[in-house]
Amino acid sequence: MAAHSRASRVAELERLRSRDWFLRISAFVVGGAIFWAWFTSHPLLGRLSASRRWANLQRFSEGLIPSPVRKSGDWSDALPWAWDLFTDEGFVALVTTIGIATAAIILAGALVLPFLPLASRRLSRIDPFGLRSGKASKPVEFGWRILGPLVRFVFVLSRSVPEYLIAFLLLSLLGLQVWPLVLALAIHNFGILGRLWGEVIENTDDDSAADLYVAGQGRASVYATSILPRSLNRFLIYFFYRWETCVKDATVLGMLGLLTLGKLIMLSKGFFWDRMLFYVLLGSSFILVMDLSSTWLRKRLR
Amino acid sequence: MPEPATAYSSIGSKRWVFVGFTLIFLVCAWKLGLTPKGLIPADANHWERTGRFFAAALHPALDYEDANVPDDAEPILVKGMRGILLTLKFAFGAMSLAVPAALILGFFGSSAWWPEPCGRGTKTILRTVFMASRFLMSFLRSIHELIWALLFLSAMGVSPLAGMVALALPFSGTLGKVFSELIDEEARDAAEALKAIGHGPLQTFLVGIFPRALPNLITYSFYRFECALRSSAVLGFVGIETIGLYIQLSHEEFYYREVWTYLYLLIAMIVVVDLWGATIRRRLQTTEGGCV
Repeated sequence: MAAHSRASRVAELERLRSRDWFLRISAFVVGGAIFWAWFTSHPLLGRLSASRRWANLQRFSEGLIPSPVRKSGDWSDALPWAWDLFTDEGFVALVTTIGIATAAIILAGALVLPFLPLASRRLSRIDPFGLRSGKASKPVEFGWRILGPLVRFVFVLSRSVPEYLIAFLLLSLLGLQVWPLVLALAIHNFGILGRLWGEVIENTDDDSAADLYVAGQGRASVYATSILPRSLNRFLIYFFYRWETCVKDATVLGMLGLLTLGKLIMLSKGFFWDRMLFYVLLGSSFILVMDLSSTWLRKRLR
Repeated sequence: MPEPATAYSSIGSKRWVFVGFTLIFLVCAWKLGLTPKGLIPADANHWERTGRFFAAALHPALDYEDANVPDDAEPILVKGMRGILLTLKFAFGAMSLAVPAALILGFFGSSAWWPEPCGRGTKTILRTVFMASRFLMSFLRSIHELIWALLFLSAMGVSPLAGMVALALPFSGTLGKVFSELIDEEARDAAEALKAIGHGPLQTFLVGIFPRALPNLITYSFYRFECALRSSAVLGFVGIETIGLYIQLSHEEFYYREVWTYLYLLIAMIVVVDLWGATIRRRLQTTEGGCV
């Protein structure tokens, strides 16, 4: 009896298990696409012959050894070499990279703040928090209905184009200067912060905001005096997270020809693999330190 | 009677956050030479180019702008679609490497499967593995995918595999980190119950914790797939054939209308995948938005 009821219980659970057709089709599409990606990419290893590839790899890995070490065979010569690279251009490039990222993320954050209430699902409607405040004409009602989706779509659009591509296009329009890189990062992160911060304010409990609205404050005032201050701490977490990503992206944007680490990497490529590796590691060690210290800090704060 | 809240009083000490960031921005702008003048094209030549570029947005090319393209060449829309498919292909290939790698890294970077009372020696080993895995993940994602691509292309020559691996490495670092955090933050009640009736730590993890974290893991992986698509498009700039390569080539010839055709295709693809992901998130009932 017990065994029987257990079996029927299992059968019942089996029956109740969610079977979502959309998820199943998605799984098939993903599986098929992975199969397609691996089995139709010919030749997977490129057109070079195996021996050419091997010679390439050998030349590359020998090139990675710092040049003074290659000459003398003594690794203690690497340190002055690295120091020279660092003081010569590396440090300036690193600081420029960080500066670009910082300017860009602050710009993006400042641009997002006024758009957030317009994208909010609770505030950006004719009846904020579901509280109807009187009659409105048809066009006004329609305007409120499309405003939120419209702003959210602008967020989607601005984050859908990769920052590298925006920078590439803007550089040819504005000329070789720092603005295109800052703007590219700012535009892309405008969309991303719009989404992340938007989620924060959707998830913030909004009793006090609704109270203020009932007490007669307008939407802008409710946003500035209740929603914004209450969400600020969580905004900052995402802000710093995106700042870190911006530093990494700004490094790479330099490959388009401006004095950040990316330019130095690009210039050393092909002739000075050792220098290239040094600049790559210089950038990555900064990110690594940032990353580890922010993880540590967050653990301490929790 | 309490004072009425004004914007000034409510923001309170938080106003210093805004003041601070404004100051930092001004310092950066000063050091980098960012002036408002730099925001407008410098000369007539650049003005003309800017005008032409934005005018082209309204008239994307439906045919090649280059008069020398032979008549029997594939139409530009077919070429654009091929670029989109290649972009998708690299993203799928990369994610199919990154997700399994991230599951392994994420498992060793989480503490949810650790046997609960355990000896000091075991604990030391577990901690070492934990730290090593965390460090490896941080290192992998500290180098941008384009730079990984440069390194791989230099070492191995241009090949589809090099592109996929280059994308997969930093992505497995990011995915692994988030996976480990999602697993560690999953509620332990089912695991405690399983442990209480005598299951081992690994069984407890595989039955009690992992399946519950799975919807969030899937959501996040899908989210990263959207990012992989963008990165895959940009791989075109280091010589791998994706839509980015076509954009770069058309742009170098000043065929702005072609550039816009490719851009619209890219944006359309990303918006479609974004909607697909949003639907999956809704159907899996996960709240995890993912940290981009």
